[in-house]
Amino acid sequence: MAAKLRAPGFYRAGIMMLGGVALATGLTWLVRMTTGHATYSHYLSGDAILSVSLLAVPLAFLIGIGGFDYWFYWAAGRPTRPEDHSGHGAYSWKDYFRVNTDHKVIGVQYTVSSFFFLLVGGLIAMLMRAQLAQPGSHFVDANTFNGLFSVHASLLIFLFIIPVFAGLANFVLPLMIGAPDMAFPRLNALSFWLLPVAGALMLGSFFAPGGAFADGWTAYAPLSDNAPIGQTFFSVAVQFAGASSIMTALNFLVTIITMRAPGMSFFRMPLLVWANFATSLLVVIATPFIAASQFFVLLDRALGFNFFNAAHGGDVLMYQHVFWFYSHPAVYIMMLPGFGIISEIIAVKARKPIFGYRMMAFSLLAIVALGFTVWAHHMFTSGMAAWIRIPMAITTAIIAVPTGIKIFSWLATLWRGVLHLDTPMLFALGFLTTFTLGGISGVMLAMVPFDIHVSATYFIVAHIHYVLFGGSLMTIFAGVYYWFPKMTGRMYDERLGKWHFWATFIFVNLTFGPMHILGLQGMPRRVSTYAAKFTDLNLFISLASFGLGLSTLVFFYNIVTSWRGGPRAIPNPWRGMTLEWQVSSPPPIFNFDRVPTVVGGPYEYGVPGAVHGIFAPAPAPAAAGAAASVVRAPSQ
Amino acid sequence: MEAASISHAAVHDGHDHHGPPAANRSSRVEPELLGMLLFIISEIMVFGAFFTAYFFIRIAQGNPWPAPGTSLPVQVAGVNTAILISSSFTIHWAQTSIKNGNRFGLKAGMLTTFLLGCSFLFIQINEYANIGFAPQDAAQQTIFYSLTGLHGAHVFIGLLLLLFVTIRAFRGHYTPEEHRGVEVPGIYWHFVDIMWIIVYTTVYVL
Ligand code: HEM
Ligand SMILES: [Cu+2]
Repeated sequence: MAAKLRAPGFYRAGIMMLGGVALATGLTWLVRMTTGHATYSHYLSGDAILSVSLLAVPLAFLIGIGGFDYWFYWAAGRPTRPEDHSGHGAYSWKDYFRVNTDHKVIGVQYTVSSFFFLLVGGLIAMLMRAQLAQPGSHFVDANTFNGLFSVHASLLIFLFIIPVFAGLANFVLPLMIGAPDMAFPRLNALSFWLLPVAGALMLGSFFAPGGAFADGWTAYAPLSDNAPIGQTFFSVAVQFAGASSIMTALNFLVTIITMRAPGMSFFRMPLLVWANFATSLLVVIATPFIAASQFFVLLDRALGFNFFNAAHGGDVLMYQHVFWFYSHPAVYIMMLPGFGIISEIIAVKARKPIFGYRMMAFSLLAIVALGFTVWAHHMFTSGMAAWIRIPMAITTAIIAVPTGIKIFSWLATLWRGVLHLDTPMLFALGFLTTFTLGGISGVMLAMVPFDIHVSATYFIVAHIHYVLFGGSLMTIFAGVYYWFPKMTGRMYDERLGKWHFWATFIFVNLTFGPMHILGLQGMPRRVSTYAAKFTDLNLFISLASFGLGLSTLVFFYNIVTSWRGGPRAIPNPWRGMTLEWQVSSPPPIFNFDRVPTVVGGPYEYGVPGAVHGIFAPAPAPAAAGAAASVVRAPSQ
Repeated sequence: MEAASISHAAVHDGHDHHGPPAANRSSRVEPELLGMLLFIISEIMVFGAFFTAYFFIRIAQGNPWPAPGTSLPVQVAGVNTAILISSSFTIHWAQTSIKNGNRFGLKAGMLTTFLLGCSFLFIQINEYANIGFAPQDAAQQTIFYSLTGLHGAHVFIGLLLLLFVTIRAFRGHYTPEEHRGVEVPGIYWHFVDIMWIIVYTTVYVL
């Protein structure tokens, strides 16, 4: 037993968490005593203890689970141990509940836990639509409703879309560039374990006195300064989720720069790698801003600072500037990896080289740069200086150009291709359609007069769901189906996959399409009830959204049953050229027996004799072709 | 980070487990160095956000600086600045020493740097205790404490790193060939230094 408590794992984590509560209690007691609270009974305050616990307990959990073990060991002055990858691989499902440094295990951990949060966030959405099916507060009260939409958005943004992309890339990116692992495997493991912590905090806020945080995922100050303690759960959860994304992004960047296979120049990298390179740049540069915005709120709340206290010279608009300086780039953090997935799938399934490969890469970098110049388009109606709107409207319209370049490149890739319309491809085509619609409503919103009319209405809800559900989530589904054989070694059920696609595609449009009309007619967003004239459309939307919810169950059913008993997958079911398809499914524990050599571009489909990578020490001369196992471009 | 001390161990158990092939090095930049530089970019952005708050409170809001009835101890902080800057030189001394195989210089340099950093933090805390205003008073005080406090927190993290490096130095780690473990925390320490110069200039001097 004692050994069990000392070894990293859930037992030790439990003990440590108790210690965390004790520490928080002692610390607040000490501080309140020394800073002169008048009476002894004031030395202990529930709110103060809870606030400090929100930081201390998660950290204690991470220590207990073993996330920091190596660094403690290093800090004590012991000899360094380079990661020897001896912990690679998972041999039973239990191994997924341990700290593991194998990028493939971490990729699965990331993906599965993010989908758990998709399920929870989706259920919350169903509750919201049940409330909104009829006007009036017949299902939940207004405050609970505010909590529901806030947790819904925060979970799906910070714990689903952002990490699930990191998870998929964690699995395939090192394989794609011919690396045995990520550059910093132990950091990789830690960054995963921060996520369940952030998720538990967000969901835990429902049990906080005063209810869950209820001012949206944007948590505008000064409302968030004065909200009940549930708000602190949000602010702290964002710190953990943000730290996790920064660590992963840093890891991706170092991996991509320093660990590419010989011969893989930047312009021979698959576009998924490019996309994650661009995204990681955004994360490393932008995420500190949301961390800081929540620091400000925390300091205001817990210690009575005056960042957003206008009576004492604070500035409330500053919150929005700092928040959106992260959160606009964040919408690209939620989209660029999806662009990468779509590029992979469209090239493979159309059996054609990707059109304008270099433009695809450059447009990603252009989006990164421009993404930092548009943040105030979220503040057109905030009361900031009016002239700022004009440059922001112009840059916002300009940023649609590199996005448009990508759309046209994909269309040109499809042109005269031999399309394989299986599930990943259907989702890719569905993505092209709905995402373009969302991009168009985005450009409409860049027009200041129009934006003033529809800002904070359901038009915005329509826009964000077209780009996030019709955009990001479609690419995620496409990517999960596409790499499912590689990740699990099993094939999914194609028939169910197609059903899932058509149900999703139809219900997405039925659910979010009418929201444009509601918004134009003036129905505000984030309300628990509405004027009677909006009833019919709302009922329609609610019914469609239940259909959308059910369609997701098809997906979960397909994944679970196929993972358990689907037919075995061959190494390269899609006849792809990129390196991850040249190893077995699932990949061997150490990815490659020998680091491959890259001799050509990644998408030369249909080009006779084209080769991307070979498993030989040096580029094989033509004569020695028999000895080297050459990866030929499969004929279509 | 430094391979010399562990190579025996690695060779030792290298027999019984089959490991992955060594990754190809596609860049001349060391992964640890690159990681630290990227981390510093993130850190600069954290400071950037706090300076945004400073900008809004002092310039956009037009609040008088320093707040009426308060004054900032420019001289004391100036001395403190000198202390921190000199610590950048002592850590450089430690680094050049180990490159030349001078273990004494490494140990003495690290120890001096660590102590200089501690005195900086000590003076800073004293300043807080005697400055005569609190962050709760008004937005100017809030941002004063936030910027200097954020920097102080970075000094603290830097000191922890320095402490670990110092311990390792005394325990005989690092060689003229393998001293990344001194180099990489050193970069962080220089960053903390340069950041202080910016904080000092904007908050105290201007
Ligand atoms: C062509 C590209 C796009 C343009 C021009 C654009 C423009 C805009 C504008 C002007 C707003 C502010 C509306 C308002 O609050 O009054 C907005 C909101 C939003 N956009 Fe976009 N957008 C684009 C693409 C995207 C993408 C790709 C995503 C995410 C994947 C996205 C996610 C969002 C979100 C989440 C909001 C609402 C934030 C909130 O207030 O909660 N947008 N967009
Ligand atoms: Cu935006």
